[in-house]
Amino acid sequence: MTSRLSRAAGKYLAFAQAAARRTMADRTVAAGRVVFLGVILFVFSRIWRLIGAADALPGVTERELVWYLAITECCVLSIPPVFLAIESEVRSGDVACRLVRPVAYVGGQIAEAIGETALRLAVMAPAGALFAYLLGGGLPADSRGLWLTVPLGVTAVLMAILSMAAIGLSAFWVVDTSPFFWIWQKATFVLGGLLFPLELYPEWLQKIAHVTPFPLMCWAPGRMALGFAPDVALASALSGVIWLAILCGLIALLSSRARLRLTVNGG
Amino acid sequence: MASVSHTLRFARALVVTNLRASLALRAAFWLQAAFMAANNLAFFATWWLLFDRFEEIGGWRLRDMMTVFGVVAFGFGLAVVFGGGARRLARVIIDGELDSLLVHPKPVLLHAVGSASTASGWGDMTTGIGMLYLAGRLTPESLPFVALAVLSSGLVFTAVIVTFQSLAFWLGETEQLARQMWEFTLTFALYPRTLFSGGVSFLLYTLVPAGFVGFLPVELVRAPSGVLCLAVLSGAVLWCAIATLVFAAGLRRYESGSPFGTRG
Repeated sequence: MTSRLSRAAGKYLAFAQAAARRTMADRTVAAGRVVFLGVILFVFSRIWRLIGAADALPGVTERELVWYLAITECCVLSIPPVFLAIESEVRSGDVACRLVRPVAYVGGQIAEAIGETALRLAVMAPAGALFAYLLGGGLPADSRGLWLTVPLGVTAVLMAILSMAAIGLSAFWVVDTSPFFWIWQKATFVLGGLLFPLELYPEWLQKIAHVTPFPLMCWAPGRMALGFAPDVALASALSGVIWLAILCGLIALLSSRARLRLTVNGG
Repeated sequence: MASVSHTLRFARALVVTNLRASLALRAAFWLQAAFMAANNLAFFATWWLLFDRFEEIGGWRLRDMMTVFGVVAFGFGLAVVFGGGARRLARVIIDGELDSLLVHPKPVLLHAVGSASTASGWGDMTTGIGMLYLAGRLTPESLPFVALAVLSSGLVFTAVIVTFQSLAFWLGETEQLARQMWEFTLTFALYPRTLFSGGVSFLLYTLVPAGFVGFLPVELVRAPSGVLCLAVLSGAVLWCAIATLVFAAGLRRYESGSPFGTRG
C-alpha cells in the first residue's frame, strides 16, 4: 500500500519537476513578471502616499500596505494558467492521448501547475520582498506576521490552482473557458482583497467576502503584513483546508462527468 | 486617390468579414462580450471601493477614474475588434505565415492586422460607453472630443502592439516580450496620470506610451481644448507612422516559412 502511494507520488513529482524545469528555461517571461510586480507596487506606493496611509487604517502605514500588496500580488502572479492548458488539450483532442496514461489526467495537470508555481514563487517572493522593502521603506512594524504568510501563501496558491483546474474542466462543456476565468479572477481581485485589505471595504461587503473562499487566496496571507495575528492565521488556515477539500471534491466530480462526456462524443 | 479608396474598401471588407466570422458562433460571441463587460465592471469595483473610502486621490475623483476607464476600455475594444490580428503578429512572423498575405495585391500590414477580431472587445466597448455615460461625458457638445479621444486611443494601441510584435522580425521569439510591453502600456494607462512624474512620466510617453493611449485622450475628454486635440492627433499619427515604418523595415528582412496553405 505504502509503496503504491509512494510510486503514485513519484509520478506526480516527476510532472512537477518537468514543469519547473520548463519554467526555468523561460527567463524573459519570469523577468517580465517581476517587472510587472515592481510596476504595480510602485503605482500603489504612490497612491498610498497621495492618500496618506494614516487615513487608511489605524496603526497601519504606507509600509504595511505596500507589503500587503507585495504578498497578494506574489500569490496571484505565481499561478500558471492551468485552465488554458486543459482547454487547449480538450479542444485539440490531445486529452484522449493523455487519458490512457497511468496517471490521473487532472492530477498530472495540477502537479505540473504546482511545479511551475513553486519555481515562480522562488523568483517572485524575494523580488516582491525587495520591492516592498525599497518602496515601503523597510519591514512592516511587526514583521513576525511575515512568517505566517508562508503556510497561508501555500494554501492560497493551492486553492487558486485547484479553482483554475476546475475552470479548465469546463472546456468539456463550453468552447471557451476564458469568460469563467475572468469572472473568477476578478472575484479574487475584489472579494479577495488583492489591491488593498478587506478592512478598507464597507462592512456589508466585508461580510459577503468572508463567506466566499476568495479572501483566503489574497487577503489571508497579505493580512499578516499588517500585524501579528496568529488567531486570524489559524482560522484562515482551517477554512483553507475545508475549501481545499471542497475543491478536490468538485474536481473529482467534474473529471468523472467529463470522462463520460468524452466517451459520448467519441473522443 | 483611387488607391486610397481601394484600401478603404478593402478595410471595410475586412471588418465585415470579421464581424460575420465572430457572429457565426453566436453564443460564444455574446458570452465573451457579456463576460468581458462583467469582468471590467468587477475590476472597476476596486476603484469604486477606494474612492468610496477616500473620495479624492491626488485631486482625482471617481468621475475622473470613470473617464479613464471609459476612454481606455473603449480604445482597447476598438483595437482588438478591428485590429485583432495585431496581437498575433509576432507568431505569424515567426511561423512564416506572412507568405499568404504577401501574394495578395493588398497592404500587408492592414491585411495582417485586420485579419482577426476578438469578440470580447465588444464587451470592452460597451463598458467604455457605460463608464463615459455614468461620468457624464456623453453630452452633445463633448461627443466630438470623446470620439476623437477613443479613436486615437484605439489607433495608438493598435500601433503600439504592431510595433512591439514587429520586433519578431529581428529578435525571433519575442511573443511574450511584446505581450508584456503592451500589457504594461495598458496597465499604466488605467491609472491617474498625476501618479507619475519626472523620468517615469517621460517613459510613459516614449517606451511605454501609456500617455498617448490614456493620459492625453483622457485629458481631452476632461478638459477639451484645441491644443489637446492637436496633441492627441499628433500622438496617433506619430505612433501609426512608427508602427508602419518598423513593420516595413522588418518586412524587408522577412524570410518565408514556406508553409503550405490557402487563403480566401
